[in-house]
Amino acid sequence: MFAYYVELGLRSLKRNPVLTALMVFGIALGIAASMTTLTVMHLMGSDPIPWKSDKLHYVQLDNWSAEQPYSDDGRPPDQITYRDAVALMQAAKADRQAAMFKLSLPVQPENPELKPFQALGRVTHADFFAMFEPPFAHGGPWNRDQDAGHARVVVLGKDINEKLFGGQNSVGRTVRMDGVDYTVVGVLKDWKLRTRYYDLTNGAFAEPDEFYLPFTTAIDLKQRSSGNNSCWKSSDDGWDAYLESDCVWIQMWVELDSPARLAEYKSFLDDYVSEQKKLGRFPRPLNNRLLDVTEWMRDQKVVSRDVEVQTGLGFAFLAVCLVNTIGLLLAKFTRKSGEIGLRRALGASRRNVFTQFLIESGVVGLSGGLLGLLLTVLGLIAVRALYADYKSVAQLDWSMVATTIALAIVSALLAGLYPTWRACQVAPAAQLKTQ
Amino acid sequence: MLQMKHLSKVYRTHMVETHALRDFSIHVHDGEFVAVTGPSGSGKTTFLNIAGLLEEFSGGEYWLDGVDVRGMGDDARSRLRNEKIGFIFQSFNLIPDLNLFDNVDVPLRYRGFAAAERRKRIEEALARVGLASRMKHYPSELSGGQQQRAAIARALAGSPRLLLADEPTGNLDSLMARGVMELLEDINRQGTTIIMVTHDPELAARAQRNVHIIDGQVTDFDAEPRLRVPTRDDRAALAAV
Amino acid sequence: MEIRPILSALMRSKVAMILIGLQVALTLAIVCNALFIIGERLERMQRPSGMNEADTFWFGSNGFGQGYDPFTVLRADLALLRQLPGVAAASTTNSVPMIGGGWGTGITLQPKQKTATADTAIYFVDDKGLDAFGTHLVAGRNFKPEEIADLTMGNRLAPVSIIVTQALADKLFPDGDALGKQVHLDEDTPASTIVGIVDRLQQPWMDSRTVEYSTLVPAHMPYGNSTRYLVRTEPGRRDEVMKTVEQKLAESNRSRIIGRIRTVEQTRREAYANDRAMMIILGVVIVALLAITALGIVGMASFWVTQRTKQIGTRRALGATRGAILRYFLTENFLITSGGLVFGTLLAYGFSLWLLTHYQARLLPWYYVPVGCLCLWALGQLAVLGPATRAARVPPAVVTRSV
Repeated sequence: MFAYYVELGLRSLKRNPVLTALMVFGIALGIAASMTTLTVMHLMGSDPIPWKSDKLHYVQLDNWSAEQPYSDDGRPPDQITYRDAVALMQAAKADRQAAMFKLSLPVQPENPELKPFQALGRVTHADFFAMFEPPFAHGGPWNRDQDAGHARVVVLGKDINEKLFGGQNSVGRTVRMDGVDYTVVGVLKDWKLRTRYYDLTNGAFAEPDEFYLPFTTAIDLKQRSSGNNSCWKSSDDGWDAYLESDCVWIQMWVELDSPARLAEYKSFLDDYVSEQKKLGRFPRPLNNRLLDVTEWMRDQKVVSRDVEVQTGLGFAFLAVCLVNTIGLLLAKFTRKSGEIGLRRALGASRRNVFTQFLIESGVVGLSGGLLGLLLTVLGLIAVRALYADYKSVAQLDWSMVATTIALAIVSALLAGLYPTWRACQVAPAAQLKTQ
Repeated sequence: MLQMKHLSKVYRTHMVETHALRDFSIHVHDGEFVAVTGPSGSGKTTFLNIAGLLEEFSGGEYWLDGVDVRGMGDDARSRLRNEKIGFIFQSFNLIPDLNLFDNVDVPLRYRGFAAAERRKRIEEALARVGLASRMKHYPSELSGGQQQRAAIARALAGSPRLLLADEPTGNLDSLMARGVMELLEDINRQGTTIIMVTHDPELAARAQRNVHIIDGQVTDFDAEPRLRVPTRDDRAALAAV
Repeated sequence: MEIRPILSALMRSKVAMILIGLQVALTLAIVCNALFIIGERLERMQRPSGMNEADTFWFGSNGFGQGYDPFTVLRADLALLRQLPGVAAASTTNSVPMIGGGWGTGITLQPKQKTATADTAIYFVDDKGLDAFGTHLVAGRNFKPEEIADLTMGNRLAPVSIIVTQALADKLFPDGDALGKQVHLDEDTPASTIVGIVDRLQQPWMDSRTVEYSTLVPAHMPYGNSTRYLVRTEPGRRDEVMKTVEQKLAESNRSRIIGRIRTVEQTRREAYANDRAMMIILGVVIVALLAITALGIVGMASFWVTQRTKQIGTRRALGATRGAILRYFLTENFLITSGGLVFGTLLAYGFSLWLLTHYQARLLPWYYVPVGCLCLWALGQLAVLGPATRAARVPPAVVTRSV
């Protein structure tokens, strides 16, 4: 019986090709608009490390000026000072902890055929690798002892290893950066992150880091962050004064394996700040935060206002397309009331009529969905062309393909429901008499 | 009232030519009640369409109430139709989305009467067919006989000189049919010329004159009316009674 | 025209009417708000930077290795750049409008003032800075060569002379007598004197609420071993000079890397790429939406005409002219559209309020709605014209056809 209805549906759709095309195209456009925007929003906002995103916490301390809050809505600064980062690292109260900042360094290849080039990397602690789990191709991270020993070691990203060593296992070789030689301890595989969630301050969709250096080593060499730096009062002249200042330029993450550990760490932070208050620092009221990965992403508006507005617009557009389809299906089914009356007279039950027309709507939905999927792919290509940053988030994955098709069918069925119900109200004889 | 001379109507498709009417002549006088009969496909409906200015004709002459309608433009014909002719159809053709008041109002709107005048005419016409109390009802809420009476009211509201009825009782049972027929006779007595197409010999017999059409031509023409046509004086006398 | 009967006939087929009305309403609401956003972005993108954008380009230089002295290199580079043919002016600067990164500080009028009077961007330039930016001095004087200090990141900011933008001068000294006045670029620092005022120079951050407040400080200020240069060429010679610069500077010093050379026009494009993308996306949505709505109206009207053929014939038989039938359908569409537009106006402001509460957007200005209404009325009438013309061509003789 199902096959019969599908056949009837297809035949009926073929009979009014223009109307059918209008309906299918309408649904397809609506689906494409909503799915393109939804995909971008979904991938931007999706949890980048679902198995431990609730264990990784971003440390924020409010060391800002007594007269003026860091931001109007009372949020603490999005980075911390060097002296606080060092103090928290030394206390080592979390299960794992890593401070970090962004650094741009000139790389001087051994190979005379390669010109020196500028590379963007990250200065951090050994725990970074265990916390954020980048995949290693060769070697591994440096260890905490090497942190303590200010070791001149480096972990290379895949691309820079490709460039310097032709993609070979370069563990044990040296890389010269800004006149200093570093020994390679590890080389990463291609680390694909949709959002570079561990450093949202310097761009959520920035390119992956090309190298990683120990924090202590970079400070030794007086390397200033290439990322954001904010001060509420100027520091005195010189490097040491800068390290002692209340300028914020360091990001810090901690891993806390249970809610109990989180609570402990929170009270540790509060105690720490209270101690510092006695030294005349932290003039503002206690305002520490320990947001987890997804909370931090929301706080930093990784999903931008524009993307949210576009998604809302996409769905409003889908609503218009659906209303449009309801109207057209209604028109179509009403035109067929004679046929319905005849079918009813020939013994079709209401349920039969209902099924037949709902399947016809479903066929429209499926065709609209498939065409919509195609248009979604085109839409995502367009988004990638329009937004240079969104390469990693304007991608269709299987869950989105399934969602698209499902959304299309549900939409079409929903749109078909009322017209179908109306069709069922046709009395068996009424149509036969007058026409 | 209505005179057709050597009228012809040809339908052309790219394959064939069909002569619906051939050398068709008829003269209907003021105040007559003429029944037009004939088998299916004989040209009855074509005659009615041409008489009612719904269709153009291919050759010959047609004078309606002293006006030569040959070659008249679409708008002028609409105007003439609106002023001089009332229609009654087999399937009533009431507009389902409008109530009786608004249905009767349709031709009066096109006539451009003022609101008060329209209201007066609608109420009079509906009262005349006995539907004054049903003004706010929709066609679907009425019986067939009532619907046809409403259609007659709509035809009468513009005080046409000529009433064209196409199988007016075709969709009605005999009791309702009798009521409608009596109403038509009553209207005719008050001076409106009526041409009625029917295939029912019993109904045709009640008309003053019968015209039989076969194959697009009048075959049986009563040269003279069976009854005397009432004169203007008679009408005045009737009204006085 | 005969509005009441059309309206009462419409009320008999409410659903179809509601569907079209709803579509029109949603379309109005979306189109108005989308157009408003487009307008805002356009306004934002058209703000002048205050620079000569057509003939300028900028680039960075990153030195490496022991014994690299950024100040020596900086002087040598500037000397080299300035003698290149086609170069009109060259200066070092820490930043450029629209690049999104730079130095900001709060200016105070008193040394121990608690909160800043104005937030400003700082551009570290030399005596050729104004010339390289192509900005115009409206009062006072340019920096003198002897005023240019050598600063590093560790130094405190207390120049003797500064130049500010007109907007910042007006903010600091509303009476218009900023020239010659003293301000502090930081609390606790010695005062700096405003020696010049330029008409306009935007901050490097497009989203800044104080985008017109900029201060020029006379200094050579490398960031570590990194320096940045801004070059203005003679009109029309930019691209040619860019090529020479890349080559000459790379040759001049082997222990440094010349970064990507970018024109200011390119910088503007990149800075506003997201705004442009948003505008394009909204534009596409508007067009698609109008198309869908128009097609919906065509579809529904065609269906109505087919459904009401007999009725149209009856009207024709009763004396309606073709014009009257055409007007009937146009009026009907006008009524439905109008109903939709009333609801749509409410929806438009609903959307706008939602955007206002969630994204601190501005409320939709009143004139968007009437303009949108006019467009949709026109769209509706155009869309229904085809089916209505078809209706007007229904011959009156259909009434006598027994179906």
